[in-house]
Amino acid sequence: MAAIMDINNLKVSFSTEEGELKALNGVNISIKEGTFHGLIGETGCGKSVTGRSIMALLDNNAMIKEGEILYKGENLLNKTEKEMQDNYRGNELAMIFQDPGSSLNPVFTIENQLQESVKMYRNTSKSKYRDIIIEELKKVKLPDVENLLEKYPHQLSGGMKQRVMIAMMLACNPNFLIADEATTALDVSIQAQFLKVLNDLKEKLQMTVLYITHDLAVISEICDYVSVMYAGNIVEELTVDELFKNPVHPYTDKLVHSLLGPETQIEDLVEIPGSVPRLIDPPPGCRFHPRCEEAKEICKKERPKLKKIAENHSVACHRR
Amino acid sequence: MKNILEINNLKKYFNSPAGSVKAVDGIDLKIKKGETFGLVGESGCGKSTLIRTILRLLKPSYGQIFLNNNDITNYEQSELKNIRKEMSLVFQDPHSSLNPRMTVFDTLSRPFKIHNLAKNKEEMTVEIVRLLKLMGLQTEHMIRFPHELSGGQKQRIGIARALAVEPELVFFDEPTSALDVSVQAKILKLLDKTRKEFDLTYFYISHDINLIRVVSDRIGVMYLGKMVEIGDAKTIYDKPKHPYTKGLFKSVPVPDPDIKLKDALVGEVPSPVNPPQGCNFSPRCPEAIDKCQKEEPKLKKLDDGRRVACHLF
Repeated sequence: MAAIMDINNLKVSFSTEEGELKALNGVNISIKEGTFHGLIGETGCGKSVTGRSIMALLDNNAMIKEGEILYKGENLLNKTEKEMQDNYRGNELAMIFQDPGSSLNPVFTIENQLQESVKMYRNTSKSKYRDIIIEELKKVKLPDVENLLEKYPHQLSGGMKQRVMIAMMLACNPNFLIADEATTALDVSIQAQFLKVLNDLKEKLQMTVLYITHDLAVISEICDYVSVMYAGNIVEELTVDELFKNPVHPYTDKLVHSLLGPETQIEDLVEIPGSVPRLIDPPPGCRFHPRCEEAKEICKKERPKLKKIAENHSVACHRR
Repeated sequence: MKNILEINNLKKYFNSPAGSVKAVDGIDLKIKKGETFGLVGESGCGKSTLIRTILRLLKPSYGQIFLNNNDITNYEQSELKNIRKEMSLVFQDPHSSLNPRMTVFDTLSRPFKIHNLAKNKEEMTVEIVRLLKLMGLQTEHMIRFPHELSGGQKQRIGIARALAVEPELVFFDEPTSALDVSVQAKILKLLDKTRKEFDLTYFYISHDINLIRVVSDRIGVMYLGKMVEIGDAKTIYDKPKHPYTKGLFKSVPVPDPDIKLKDALVGEVPSPVNPPQGCNFSPRCPEAIDKCQKEEPKLKKLDDGRRVACHLF
């Protein structure tokens, strides 16, 4: 399968009062067409910045220092705001955010909100709008759709709002979806229903999805490949099967073993000593070395490059 | 083992424009001294309201609460100060539960001052250093402000504050849900060690089934203000009986790509203002029978010792 998106050596910094915050420190991700690609890491590691960089939705104090984001061979970083808006956002790329409550406009009905997507991205007559909206809402398994159209966001539960968000995204017909912690605000039963909807869509629509989350169990449920991120770097890229059977990077290994699975006992839990570094003055060399039990001299000096160790498996570590 | 806490038919209703919200609707519970009890349920099931009512941060609408055989249900404000030394609470969000303008020392000195637990400042400082050590923090953390600490460190300060009064019973309201997994492991181990060392009784509430299973001796499952299943943690986890418990457990993704979600819960939690007739869970229940829509099931004891509120048993 060919890659639909290649992010190469992406470096993004933010200017802050304390100085330059180096959020992304040379990120490399290759996403194959039609797959669900997970992006996992702890709070503040740069997952969301990566997603927003793709959409060109970074805050004003962000600076893209280096690198490229190739989408279907075109470098998105060279596009103007107008080109991004006219040719990419919505019809090619779409993003859903963590909090469905704040992503919908509270003063518009569900029909109004979806109408905008349909109007902008579907070449069709006004009389067909309603049918398309109903069709999209049914795809995400929302009950009682006709009634729902007249409702306002506050009348819906969190799970329903998140599904409206997906329907809105589907109405644009994008090829590439970025889901940023899309189920973090939801209860497990609602999350399960949401994941099922995504899994069904995966089979039907052959969409490519970049799924950003901190939850490894969700990754194992829906993703094919995964990139593991730590303090602005991708430390490992592998298939989801390998992630749980054969994690190679010391950070990935610890992360997988700090999970509470169905068999885990409190004694088995692995903790990672220390804490995530401040990205204003990150440690030199490998950013994980101060917390790594296997760190050697070279780890303190030189940043490890992501190198291929097997088919579909790359790792950035001097010790591997 | 004696019961440290006993609650009978506890109810907490809130008034709202739409009608009375039955947040906690008739809960019976006994907590034994030295055990860890875990209460699991989805958002809005009433678990936070339940512990806040037990702690008497809220006034119960009905029922009784006994703490060490004393009826604290109707304690006045002045009497409540005494039970604050016996029961304490660790909050969910360490970022908002610490005063941003107070140093760690100031935060931790509050319980000592309020309850007159130290003779003078020297004695208090010694105690605060001891608490920090207990939580794996250093003396130098005393002069830090919350914004200078990581999430995990803040939560350990929150725990230290709860332990300062040397309580017998500690409540944890989602103690690790705001933290990353690698930090969660550390906090859970620390809490386990502290419990054994000081012979404490723990009461956890969480939406995270795996967390509750790992830490608890006994668990309870709550749905829409009522207890639907309660018993030994392993018994319930290995073989849940109530259809809600079964569905809830099956809705949790397993970190193993070979195991996919199956038989997860469908539908949504109904409004607690207007709960369904009969069994609360009947509209979403795949196994519901006629009786379920008419009659409310009571908790019944099964052979393996657990209690289930379901007409199928």
